[in-house]
Amino acid sequence: MTAIPRIVIVGGGPAGRAALAALPGAILIARPDATAWHAEPGRLWVEGGGRVWAEPFGALLVCADEPLLLAALGCAIRDGRVMADATGRTGVPGISVAGRIAGATTPEAAERQATAAARALADGTPGREPRPDPPAETPAALRLDPVALAALLEQPASLARDGAALAQRAILGAMVPARPVGLAALAGLVAAMPEPIPPQTDTGVLA
Amino acid sequence: MTDPDILIVGGGLHGLSAALHLARAGRRVRVLEARQVGAEASGYSAGGVRTLGRHPAEVPLALAAIERWPAIADLVGDDCGFRSVGQVRVAENDAEFTLLAERVEGLRAAGWTHEELVDAQAVRQLLPAVAPHVVGGLVARRDGFASPLRTTRAFGRAAVAAGAEVIEGARVAAMDRRAGLWRLRTHGGETHAAPLLLNAAGAWGGRIARAAGEEIPLGFNAFQMLLTEALPPLLTPVVGAAGRPLSFKQSETGHVMIGGGHKGRADLDSGEIRLDVPRLAYSARTALDLFPALHGARIVHAWAGIEGVTPDDLPVIGRSAVAAGLVHAFGFSGHGFALAPVVGAIVAGLLLDGPETHALAAFAPARSQLCGPAAETRPALLQPAG
Repeated sequence: MTAIPRIVIVGGGPAGRAALAALPGAILIARPDATAWHAEPGRLWVEGGGRVWAEPFGALLVCADEPLLLAALGCAIRDGRVMADATGRTGVPGISVAGRIAGATTPEAAERQATAAARALADGTPGREPRPDPPAETPAALRLDPVALAALLEQPASLARDGAALAQRAILGAMVPARPVGLAALAGLVAAMPEPIPPQTDTGVLA
Repeated sequence: MTDPDILIVGGGLHGLSAALHLARAGRRVRVLEARQVGAEASGYSAGGVRTLGRHPAEVPLALAAIERWPAIADLVGDDCGFRSVGQVRVAENDAEFTLLAERVEGLRAAGWTHEELVDAQAVRQLLPAVAPHVVGGLVARRDGFASPLRTTRAFGRAAVAAGAEVIEGARVAAMDRRAGLWRLRTHGGETHAAPLLLNAAGAWGGRIARAAGEEIPLGFNAFQMLLTEALPPLLTPVVGAAGRPLSFKQSETGHVMIGGGHKGRADLDSGEIRLDVPRLAYSARTALDLFPALHGARIVHAWAGIEGVTPDDLPVIGRSAVAAGLVHAFGFSGHGFALAPVVGAIVAGLLLDGPETHALAAFAPARSQLCGPAAETRPALLQPAG
């Protein structure tokens, strides 16, 4: 049996609660106490209680409507739903989904999905071949400049807003943050100026 | 278009500015852009229009450029969102204030008066929300900011209106020079040829130079920026700090932009960028230290663009030292946006064998081989990206 990785669940609704019941050792990140605002491979960035922290994960089960968070990890999204297999595994290794984001239309269906996804993670059931899906959303006709994009992203989350943001993502790459984060909470993450990163070198050639 | 006289690699601000000037001079110009106009640094810049804190070698270019920005609409048919709101560099302690005073003295000795040393009270008149520990600063009152993507697109439209051709999605895969022509082949398989070539490929400029047989030191950075939600009016000028990287301004929509030099990681081959959250956090900390009123603000957007940087932080502007018919304009190291109106005219002049209108020795492509780095390798002040 494969060792179970550190599992983080995002979402405190029916799917998230069902997933936690099936994965008692998992970490639950649920609003309003804790908000996942950004994700990168192996690390979820969370805001809660006036501070920001990184939550490392070996596997991430997203049971909340967070398309921008999943998009930041490279998951393919079409019509507001993340593309995943029957056990919720996305095309990105270690990232699973359940609930409305995975197409569930009732709380019961969301719970069933979450339980199946949690068991698959607990069993270490292999998912489909690990391969990042290509972005499924249609690129926007016109790229927004950063200020216009900020004006879009500060609107309340909705299918229309997320669709517009994901269309920009198809041009620009991940939308960061997936949810607004408090400036003061973020500022509290570091006390001293980090060492400057020297320029990256390039010895590449045309190809 | 029939065969062009000049090929330009790079549909960023500098390439398009050159295209505009060349097309208006009656030349047939074709711009090859790997992605879309303004896809990289030109569209991701903080948009600072700044003479303040420049390296001495750049000061004449910056002063020439600032003359052009108020009438930028006459050049490109759009005011580019330029606002002459001034720029302020604040000192957070006496040592930094002394540094600023020495900077002004040095500029005065060179005959430049565009930077003005001001005390704490004057800073507070300009920036009522600034933190109480600020002890003074430098002001360049004609400086300001513009909208980077809007500016780049405006230059592109003006260049096309003048007769230039801009081809997007044309990534150069190979190039050589035969029979007096530069021949560039794109990933799509098309070949473009012209006797003259401008390398305005930004962070990829070193690769173009290398393909032409010229090794020019160039690295790259992914300069990170943050935007808050729209906030009530907080400040008018663009603000930097003397002792730490910061470029800080509020747009007309109320969004506060925080940038200045903290970097993420980029992949030049894929174009992918990974933001560095702790360094974003330090940018937020700097902004909060200087403007405590931001305490309740929320960050709604963060991004980074890939920018070519040289070892001495000065751009590469000039004729190739080894190849005929090749001019370089790249490596602006995070602070080239403001210079575009004048750099485009300069490189157009170089391509057309016109007289050298500005001293360009400090920017020469071969400077690292000929005379080592520029005499003053560090600018007197931190150069905030954008």
